[in-house]
Amino acid sequence: MDAVRLWSLSSQPLKHLIRTTTTRLVIRCCSSTTTATNPGGRAPKAGGRNRRLSTSTSTSDRDAVRAIRLKKVEELRSKGLEPYGYGWERTHSANQLQDIYRHLGNGEESKPDKDGVSIAGRIVARRAFGKLAFLTLRDDSGTIQLYCEKERLAGDQFDQLKSLVDIGDIVGANGSIKRTEKGELSVYVNSFAILTKSLLPLPDKYHGLTDVDKRYRQRYVDMIANPEVADVFRKRAKVVSEIRKTVESFGFIEVETPVLQGAAGGAEARPFVTYHNSLGRDLYLRIATELHLKRMLVGGFEKVYEIGRIFRNEGISTRHNPEFTTIEMYEAYSDYESMMNMTEEIVTRCALAVHGKLTLDYQGVEIHLERPWRRETMHNLVKEATGITFNELGNDLQVAKEVTLKNLGADLDYKHKSSIEACSSVGHLLNEVFEIIVEPKLVQPTFVLDYPIEISPLAKPHRRHVGLTERFELFVCGRELANAFSELTDPMDQRGRLEEQVRQHNEKRAAAISEIGGAEDKREENDESYEVTLDDDFLTALEYGMPPASGMGLGIDRLVMLLTNSASIRDVIAFPVLKIQQ
Amino acid sequence: MAGEESTPYLDELRHLRSMAKHPSIINLLSSEIFSLEKDQSPPLPPQSSPPRLSQEVMSAAEKAKQTNVTARSCGKKYVASEDEKDPTKYYENRLNYIATLKNPYPHESSVSKSITEYVKEYQGLLKDQQGVHLENVTESLAGMVMKQRSSGPGCFFYDLCGDRARVQIYASASNSDMDKSEFVKIHSNVKRGDIVNVTGFPGKTMSGQISIFARSFVVLAPCLHMMPTVNPKKITEETEEWGPGRPRNPETYSLKDQETRYRQRHLDLRINPDVQRIVVETRSEITFYIRRFLHSRQFREVETPILNTTAGGATARPFMTHHNELDMQLYMRIAPELYLKQLVVGGIERVFEIGKQFRNEGIDLTHNPEFATCEFYQAYADYNHMMELTEEMLSGMVKELTGGYKIMYHSNGLDKDPIEIDFTPPFRRIDMIEELNKIANLAINPEDLFSEEANSDLKVACEKYGIQCPPPETTTRLLDKLVDHFLEEQCVNPTFIINHPEIMSPLAKWHRSRPGLTERFELFASKHELCNGYTELNNPIVQRQRFANQLKDRQSGDDEAMPLDEGFCRALEYGLPPTGGVGIGIDRLCMLLTDSVNIKEVIPFPTMKPQDQPSARPSYKY
Repeated sequence: MDAVRLWSLSSQPLKHLIRTTTTRLVIRCCSSTTTATNPGGRAPKAGGRNRRLSTSTSTSDRDAVRAIRLKKVEELRSKGLEPYGYGWERTHSANQLQDIYRHLGNGEESKPDKDGVSIAGRIVARRAFGKLAFLTLRDDSGTIQLYCEKERLAGDQFDQLKSLVDIGDIVGANGSIKRTEKGELSVYVNSFAILTKSLLPLPDKYHGLTDVDKRYRQRYVDMIANPEVADVFRKRAKVVSEIRKTVESFGFIEVETPVLQGAAGGAEARPFVTYHNSLGRDLYLRIATELHLKRMLVGGFEKVYEIGRIFRNEGISTRHNPEFTTIEMYEAYSDYESMMNMTEEIVTRCALAVHGKLTLDYQGVEIHLERPWRRETMHNLVKEATGITFNELGNDLQVAKEVTLKNLGADLDYKHKSSIEACSSVGHLLNEVFEIIVEPKLVQPTFVLDYPIEISPLAKPHRRHVGLTERFELFVCGRELANAFSELTDPMDQRGRLEEQVRQHNEKRAAAISEIGGAEDKREENDESYEVTLDDDFLTALEYGMPPASGMGLGIDRLVMLLTNSASIRDVIAFPVLKIQQ
Repeated sequence: MAGEESTPYLDELRHLRSMAKHPSIINLLSSEIFSLEKDQSPPLPPQSSPPRLSQEVMSAAEKAKQTNVTARSCGKKYVASEDEKDPTKYYENRLNYIATLKNPYPHESSVSKSITEYVKEYQGLLKDQQGVHLENVTESLAGMVMKQRSSGPGCFFYDLCGDRARVQIYASASNSDMDKSEFVKIHSNVKRGDIVNVTGFPGKTMSGQISIFARSFVVLAPCLHMMPTVNPKKITEETEEWGPGRPRNPETYSLKDQETRYRQRHLDLRINPDVQRIVVETRSEITFYIRRFLHSRQFREVETPILNTTAGGATARPFMTHHNELDMQLYMRIAPELYLKQLVVGGIERVFEIGKQFRNEGIDLTHNPEFATCEFYQAYADYNHMMELTEEMLSGMVKELTGGYKIMYHSNGLDKDPIEIDFTPPFRRIDMIEELNKIANLAINPEDLFSEEANSDLKVACEKYGIQCPPPETTTRLLDKLVDHFLEEQCVNPTFIINHPEIMSPLAKWHRSRPGLTERFELFASKHELCNGYTELNNPIVQRQRFANQLKDRQSGDDEAMPLDEGFCRALEYGLPPTGGVGIGIDRLCMLLTDSVNIKEVIPFPTMKPQDQPSARPSYKY
C-alpha cells in the first residue's frame, strides 16, 4: 500500500527531530496536561501542584499501553490495513437502531435487508470469549452492542478483533440486527474495520475523572468517559439555536460588531489590551456589544441583536470566565416593560427546548419558570428584606449609612460593613444592601426593577421617579441572568454620565496608585489600574438621534448552567481558561 | 416661486384649491399640489417666514445654495434653513432649540405598524383610489424624517423613513390636536434626521401617494447635526431595489466619502439606500442559510475559545494579550480548527462554529484584522464528501439569495464592467501539481518536495516566469506563488484546486493513493480563496512530524509557520475518527454576493487607522 510506504518513509528521517524538539515544545504549550506522553520515551516531568498520585503512577502504564498500541498500528499496516481510515458509510446511528428494532424479541434476529446495517463509533467496552466477543460501540446518538461470532466473520477477522481492537478505538461494522437472549439489541457483525486506532487508554470512571483540572484541560477525555458531559454541549447548542429562533421570529436581525475596539465601552470592566502591529496602536477587546448595537439603531435598524463573545480581564471563578457569551438585543420604540416580556419568552422557550417543561431542578432546588415572573422594585425588595425604606431617607448619605448599619449591623461581617462605608452615594448604598442581603434570596425568577441612576450610566431616567432609572435585572438562583433598560437617548445626559464615570474611575485609580506608592511589585496591579476612555464616536452617533429603545443583555453561559444543572461556568464552556500549569 | 414650472394639471389643482371651502378638501389639494411640486423645484421655505427671509433664501437657492444663509436673518426662535453651511452653527442652534423644550427625549412612543406594513396594507386597501381618507382608522408610525416641505404655516409634509420603507406624513394644523402656534413652533423646527412619532389616519393623496394624516406629531429624538445632503434624484427616482448578486456602484451613492461611511456607519446606513441590505442583511442571510443548511444535516453549533495559550490551526501572526490576575500571556485565535477536532474526538460527530478569527496583519481591500469564518467537521466523511457538501451549500445559497446561480461582480474595479460568476454545480476541479506541471512546463515531484533540490528548482521556476517571492523562500511559499500565478488566475467561476502537496498542508491527511500529496481542496471564486477543506490528518505520529516540518520553516524565518500544539496531538492519540473538515470565509462570501471589492463594505464597523485629528465634526463646549 502506497500510504503505508509513505508513512514509514517519511517517519524515519524525522524521528530524531521530534525527539530533540518535543521537550521544548511541550513547555511552550501551556494547555497541555499533566499527563504529557511523549514519543521519545522521555521521563515524565516532575509532578506539579495539581498532579494526583494516581495520574502520576498511571503515566508509566500509559506509556506502556501506548507502545503496545503502536505495535498494533504496525501490525495492521503489515497486514495491508490502514489504521487511520478515510471514511465510513453509515446507514444508521445507534439510537436509530434502538428505536427501529425496539420490538424485536429476545433471541430474535431481524430479517436482514439487502446489505444489513452499517454503523461506526468508539468502542467503550469489550468482553471476549473463545469464539464470541461483545463490544459496546458508542456514537453521537447513543450506544449499541456489537455481537461478534467467529464463524460469521471472514478469514482471520475474529482473531484480529480479539488481538488488535482495544477500548477507545473507532470502529465501523456491518451486519444484521439481533437481540441477545439477555435482551441486548446488537449488531450481529458480518465485517468490521478499525477506522482509527487509539493510542492512549481511556480513563476508568473512578480515577481519571476525579482530576478536576484534567477534566477541563482534556475536555474530550471527559466527554468520552462521561457521555453526560458531551450532552451538556449538545444542550448548549440547542439553547443557542433556540434563542436565535426566538428573537428572529420577533423580527430581530443579527449584526456582527467588532471585538477589537479603539475604546472599550458599554460596561465597567477591565478590558484586555492587544497591539496591532501594522496600525501601530493598542486595541481593546470588547467588554460589551452595547455601544455598537446602539449605533445600528441610529443607523435606522429597529430590531437588532448579537450573540457573541465578550472579554473581561478579571479573575476566574465558578461564575466567571475571561471570555463568555451573551446575547444583547435592542428594539426601537419600546421600553423596558416590553423587554421583560421578551426575556420571559426567551428563557421559557429555551427551557422547553431542553427539558420539555418549565419546572426544573438546579443543584437540588426546584425552579419554577412558569410565567409571569415576579416583578418588584429594588426599593421594595430591600424594604421587604431589611425593613429599611430608602425612599424616605432622602439624599443624606451619612444618615442613610447610619440607618443601614443600625438595622443590619448585627448580620454583617467586616467585609460587608466596610463596603457599605465605602459607598459614594445613596444609590450605591441601596445597591450594596441589595447585593448583600437580597440577591442570594432571589431563587425563583424575579425581575428587579428601577435601579438608582448612580449605578446605571446607560439607562434612561425613570419617567416618574427622580433618581431612578428604567432598568431591570433578572435573577434566578441568586444570580444575575439578564440586565436591561430603557436606553438613554439624550446625548447631553449620556455625555455627562460617562464623563462622571471616567472621573470616578480616575479618582479611584489615582487613590490606588498612591496607596501602592510603588513600594510593591509593579505587577501587583490594582483593580482600577486600567484606563477608561470616552467613546466619542458613540456620543456623536447619539447626537444624530437614536429612537427611544429598550435593550437587554443576557448571559448565555449562565442560562446554560441553569438549564443543564451545572454548578460551574466551566462545565458549560468546552475549553475554559485555566491557570498555567507548573 | 423659484424654479416653478407649471403644468396644466398643477394649475388646475391650484385653481380648485382657491375655490375650495372645506378645510379637508383644501388639505387634500395642498398635499397633491406639493407632491407634484416637489418633483419640480427644490424644497421651499416656509411661507410664514418674514418676506426678508423668503427673499434671501430664494436668492440663495438661485445661487445654487452657495451663500451662507445663516440664523442671523432668521430670527431667534427658529433654526436656520437647511441650506446653512456651517455645521458648528447648525449644531449650536439645535442645542439652543432643544434647551427650550421640556423633554426633548420623551419616554413614550407608540407604534401600531412598521412603515413597511403600513404601506403594504393601505396600498392594498386603497388600490386604484386617489384622495381618500380613512378618518375613523388610527395608526401610529415612527421613523426618521428624511425630507420635509411646507405649504404654508398650517401645512407640512415629511418623508418618514424606517424599516427600509418610506411614507409621507401630511401634517396640517386643522387635523392636529395642538393649537396653531404650538403646531407651527414644533413643525418649523423639525429637521432632516429627526426621529418622530406620528399618530393619525391613513389615506392617499390625489396623486395616489400613501400618506398618514397626522393628528399628533412628536419628535422623539432630535437630530442635532446637519445630515449630509441626499441626492434628490435618489429618492424620487423609482430605481429598482438592490439585491444580492446584482452589481452596484458605491461611487454613485449620496454619501460617497469612504472615511465617513466606514467611521460613521450610522450615517451611511441612513443615507445610502443599499447599505442596510449589504452590510447587515445580506450577511445575516448568508449566516442564516449556512446555519439552516448545517442544522438540517445534524451539525451542532459549538463555541471554542478565542483566547488561547497557543495560536494554532492556521498559519498567521496572532494578536497577543495579557491576563492580569493569572499573569498569563494569551493569543487570540487564528482558527478554531484544533478545538473543533477535539470536540469530534469527544464524540460530537458533526460540529460547526461560525465566529471571528483574528490575524495581526496589514489592512487592505481583502483583509480586516478580525473576520468571520464558518468551520464544519463531519466524522466518517472525507474530502470528496466535503467538496460535494461545499458545492451544495454555496450553489444553494447563491440560488436562494439571488434567485439564480449567476452573480455579477466588479472584479476588475468599478470603472470596468462587472463580470458574471457562475455558481452552477458541479464546480470545476483542478489537480494542483498535475496542472502546474502542465501549464508551467515543470516537473515537480511531490514526493521529494522536502529536499533542497526541489527548493532550488522552484526558485529557478519562479525566476523564469518573473514571479516575485519575498523571503524567506521556503518551498511552501514558492509553491504558493506559482499556484497563485498559474492556477488561481483561472479561477473566476468557483473552482476547486485539489490535492495539495504535504509540505503545504500540515493538518491534512496524506492522499490515499498519491504519495507526497494530501486530500485537500481549496475553493476559489473571482480568484480569491473562499474555502479550504480536507480529510483531516488523524494520525498523531504523522501530525507531530508535520509540526516538526513547520518548525523547520519557522527556523528559516517564516514566522507564519504553524507552531506545535501538544494538547491537540495528545487528543489525536485518543483517536479522532476519520473526519472531513471545511473552513469558509464569510466576509469573502459577503463581498461576492454584494459586489464589494473592499472588505470594509461588508463589515459594519471595520478596523480603521487612528485618526490624526479628533474628527471632522465640530468641537463641543462642555
